[in-house]
Amino acid sequence: MTLTSLLLLLLAGIVTGTIGAMLGLGGGVFLVPFLALAFGLPMHQAIATSILAIIATSSAGGAMNVERRIVNLRLGMTLETTTVIGAILGGVTANLLGGDVLTKIFAGLLLLVSFMMIWRIRQRGMEEPTHQDGVLAATYRDDSTGTIVSYSVRRVPAVMLVSLVAGNISGLLGVGGGIFKVPSMNIIGGIPMKAATATSNFMIGVTAAASAFIYFAHGHINPLIVAPAALGVLSGSFLGVLLGRKIKSHVLTWVFAIVLLIISIQMFLR
Amino acid sequence: MDDPTTSNVERWISMALRIGVWSSAALMIAGLLAVWVSGSASLPPSENLSPRALLRMLFSSSVDGVTLIFSGLVVLMLTPFLRVLTAAIGFLAERDLKFAFVSLAVLSMLLGELFFFLR
Repeated sequence: MTLTSLLLLLLAGIVTGTIGAMLGLGGGVFLVPFLALAFGLPMHQAIATSILAIIATSSAGGAMNVERRIVNLRLGMTLETTTVIGAILGGVTANLLGGDVLTKIFAGLLLLVSFMMIWRIRQRGMEEPTHQDGVLAATYRDDSTGTIVSYSVRRVPAVMLVSLVAGNISGLLGVGGGIFKVPSMNIIGGIPMKAATATSNFMIGVTAAASAFIYFAHGHINPLIVAPAALGVLSGSFLGVLLGRKIKSHVLTWVFAIVLLIISIQMFLR
Repeated sequence: MDDPTTSNVERWISMALRIGVWSSAALMIAGLLAVWVSGSASLPPSENLSPRALLRMLFSSSVDGVTLIFSGLVVLMLTPFLRVLTAAIGFLAERDLKFAFVSLAVLSMLLGELFFFLR
């Protein structure tokens, strides 16, 4: 490995982390195909690298959101019981499958994510109302409106089931899975989008750690690839949040939904 | 309605996450700089990416850039474990036994899996 490769990996992490944060996706959706297609990394190593980057961004973001009380801590801990099981099963399955099969499954995931991104644009402003008759009640301050939001969670077993599936996708493909989990938490559990996003991001660090050691045990963690990529994604995620506050364009989401669609086709044909 | 106030368990979890992620980042940056200064980024060959070979590197007497980077990655992978342990202790301190038990259940799954795959 050359020093140029290290710098390119750092840059790849920054770019994918920035785009991911700007679009409200983790970096994994962009990082995995980038490492596999542009760097020619074996699929398992690309996924393992993304999982480590997810732990870094979840921990950094979680530290802020827990202190600001946007994370529903008790809900997060409850959902982690199933998300960890899902991630372990996903990690084990991934290591039983060949790189080609994983690439095809990842291509299918990208196709779904690109449709979800477009669906999310249409759903904007159509958030489910909050309820007070559920469990795991929480309160947080919404800085954008200056109001205090109180809510409780409905249908916890169903939300736990969604977390099991999201954990499985995360362990299998090295992505956060928030694009599926967050809308489900809002629609099924009646959790406000901000709290659902923060709680989902907070949980994903533990989910990713559950599968990280499986990839590590199988020799897919390459320190010189993971470190620059993870540091890049971490710094990119901060940059993305800052840029995301300034650029609120539906066009950007459309552009990257189409980019993901093209990457998906490329991965299918690989 | 008053602003919600941060509880002790939330403060402790936040601190555990900050300590984990920033010490891991510092180790990785130091390692990458050491690799850069030495002018070579000789990776352990792919057959040496086995957990045993990498863990042996941690306990070797010589500390080089790759060892520092790997130490950072180990700290990063263990940060969520620290966070769950902190939550269990925090809930116990708040006498919230139900969620102390939930946190310990999550920690047991993580530790069980860790020992199973690295045994």
